[in-house]
Amino acid sequence: MNLESTRRSAQQEYILQGSIVNDSCEILLHRLRGLCDNGDAAPETFKDHEYVYTIRQPNGQPLTLRVRQSLEKKDYPWHLRYLGQPEIGDKNRATLVRSCIDVACSSNICTFLSEMGFKLDYEYISKGFIFKKGRMKVTVSKIFRLLPPGNVNTDEHVSQSYLVEVSVVAPTGQDALAEEIRSFAEQLKPLVQLEKIDPRRLQ
Amino acid sequence: MSLSVNVSLETADEYSVQEITYDGQEKYTQPLSMSENLTKLAQRIDFSRVNNYDDTEPEKSDTVAEEKETLQSAVWPWESVRNKLKSALTELCVLLDDMNVAKDKRYLVLDPVSQEPSEFKPLTALVARKKALAASAAIIQNGVEFLKSHQNDATRSRAMDFHSELMTIRQNWRMKKVGNTILGDLSYRSVGSRYPHPGSFEVTKAPTPQPITSPSNVPSPRASSLKVTVASDLEGVSYIHVNNDTLASGDLSIPLPPVAVSSLESSWQQKLENAQNVLFCKELFAQLAREAVQLQLPIPTLVIGNQIIATLFPGVQLSIGLCHTTVPNKKTTEKQQQTPSRNEHKPVLEHSLHQLLREIHYNSLHHPMPHPATATLGISRKMYFAGPEAYDRHTLMEACKSETMLEQIISQSQHVVLRLRTMYMIDTLACEIKDPLIIAHWLCLNSATKSSVKINIVSYGYESQSRTPLVIHVGVKNIKAICRDGRTFHMSYESQELRYLIMSQVSQHQINAIQALSKLMGWKVLSHNVNCGVGPVEMIGTASSIVLASPNGDRMIAVRHGPQSGAQVSISLSPHEQDFYPSTLVKDRKWQNINGGFKEVMWEKIEGKNLVSKIEYLMACLTNF
Repeated sequence: MNLESTRRSAQQEYILQGSIVNDSCEILLHRLRGLCDNGDAAPETFKDHEYVYTIRQPNGQPLTLRVRQSLEKKDYPWHLRYLGQPEIGDKNRATLVRSCIDVACSSNICTFLSEMGFKLDYEYISKGFIFKKGRMKVTVSKIFRLLPPGNVNTDEHVSQSYLVEVSVVAPTGQDALAEEIRSFAEQLKPLVQLEKIDPRRLQ
Repeated sequence: MSLSVNVSLETADEYSVQEITYDGQEKYTQPLSMSENLTKLAQRIDFSRVNNYDDTEPEKSDTVAEEKETLQSAVWPWESVRNKLKSALTELCVLLDDMNVAKDKRYLVLDPVSQEPSEFKPLTALVARKKALAASAAIIQNGVEFLKSHQNDATRSRAMDFHSELMTIRQNWRMKKVGNTILGDLSYRSVGSRYPHPGSFEVTKAPTPQPITSPSNVPSPRASSLKVTVASDLEGVSYIHVNNDTLASGDLSIPLPPVAVSSLESSWQQKLENAQNVLFCKELFAQLAREAVQLQLPIPTLVIGNQIIATLFPGVQLSIGLCHTTVPNKKTTEKQQQTPSRNEHKPVLEHSLHQLLREIHYNSLHHPMPHPATATLGISRKMYFAGPEAYDRHTLMEACKSETMLEQIISQSQHVVLRLRTMYMIDTLACEIKDPLIIAHWLCLNSATKSSVKINIVSYGYESQSRTPLVIHVGVKNIKAICRDGRTFHMSYESQELRYLIMSQVSQHQINAIQALSKLMGWKVLSHNVNCGVGPVEMIGTASSIVLASPNGDRMIAVRHGPQSGAQVSISLSPHEQDFYPSTLVKDRKWQNINGGFKEVMWEKIEGKNLVSKIEYLMACLTNF
């Protein structure tokens, strides 16, 4: 699987992340409902189960693929996702950019990946709310551990806060979108500080 | 201050660094020379302050001036100092001269001037004072009047105030401030419209409302302090005129409902609503016109000016017109009111057009949310399933197919036409055919393209014994009828076909009703034939027949009923005749018991309201006890 060659044609994800403590989440949801499309309807909830699979490439680099299944809508297709290395860029770039490949797939994808030699690295439940504004997708979600393993109805949350993500998936080179995301993030400013977060630095 | 310690001040050895070059070399600022230093210090002297002392000590300053004058030959930077000193000297010389002249008293004497007391006129003063008082009183009075009227206005209606009105408009419309202008947005873009018209309006402060002098004391509508300006093409009122003619009318001028015109001159709210409606109608018509051009129908749709003409059925056309009036011309509206317009407006279809466009708006914004949350945004559910479910080309094509707005409105109007035709046909038949009653129940649950009617055919007075139900589904281009025996008939839009069906059902009903009656009367059914093969050929359908025998078998009734020919009743008696006269052929009386030939009954002469009651009468007559 030569992902780098497909990278050119691949979509890019422009993303900003932040977090908000449980108590203030309600206010943020109100604000998002006002800012985003279709404020007349109640915010859409989601509960997804994410499996993260890795395989070691010949050069020693691990390759990670993410499989997601909606637990609320079990009849929906599963979703396979490859995320490239995030590019922080300089100060002028408003958002984190990473290449991504999205594939909708059937429910036997896990078996398929195992057969290919992928190993299940970790899994978690992501539960929260999803909003849409134009091409932007805003998710406010809480991460749960699966304790004991395999227990989908877990309430073992990882932290006392919600993860907030604003993202757009678009073809390469649409940097105007980054500005759009940033200006949207500005409007959430006192509640949640959305930033370019490099996961490599957190480790 | 002690003088025992000498404090000496001198400049530092090192000069201040002006800049450090890239190779590390320091460049110093050059020190000032003595003369430059002096110039710098001298420029700090404020000569204007020194000038103030000139008056008191002219002599001293003079000497100072002369002293300084020696320096006038200094270098060019002293120019300003020199000029100032020179002007100071000139002034001082003049002052000195003045003082000398005044002191000598030879040429000039300074004496106090004796002022003559002005003559005091009490009358003029009184007049002047009165005038001044009157003027000030008028000013105060004006102020009071203004305050009073302002307060009155405020108490009468708060809406009169510009700012509170602006707040009201802000609550109802999308507004923003650009520079010094207040702009509003009329367009439907925020709810999903893609129509390129900007649809903006401007809010300005209206010129102060003049007190309206109305001849009568009718409370005139309060003048608003807001003035709303919409784009010129959005002014006025408009609506979509929908009608279906039997022929192309060729009349493009579409009358405007008088109600719409009357509401032209009113508040800004009404004005904005009208403008928004105009915008909506424009978008609707533009969309329809675009679809009309693209649509591939056997009979192409026409777009002429402000009208779209589509053919529904042969000879029946749908015309959709955009009607827009800006200037309310009362004369023309009155004229239009008087002339009965041939092409009647169909508000139901107009309403469904509005609904269709709003649905398009809604769908353009309300995409299904992705599940799981990382999935791609903005893909329809069907497309999202296409990959994992491995849809083939045909399924994908089916999924992508969607009816355009024009197609939908055409099918809706076709349904309307077909429904009206069916309704008319059933009503006419019910009027024409009196004998069995035709009762139609239109179901209230129907859609824009489907409705159904239940028809009951009953004989008056015998409703409980025999009833022929019939369900008719009216679709877009065809009619489906389901009969009592479960047979289904598919018919085209020609309502004549339905007429024939109902007529044959009526004919069968009569025979069925007679059969039901015979059971009650104790008569035996000898034969019952729905499609009777004998007798004259019917124009439509086939005749039905029934043969009945009396309880003791000596009488027989044969009934034949055709959809068009009507009823034909014959009887035969078992003893042909009461009296027997033996002949050469028939010698015995027993042969008399064989049924004779059928004789037709003169049906008009039989008493009874309808066929069934006549048969009952006949049966009663024929039955032997």
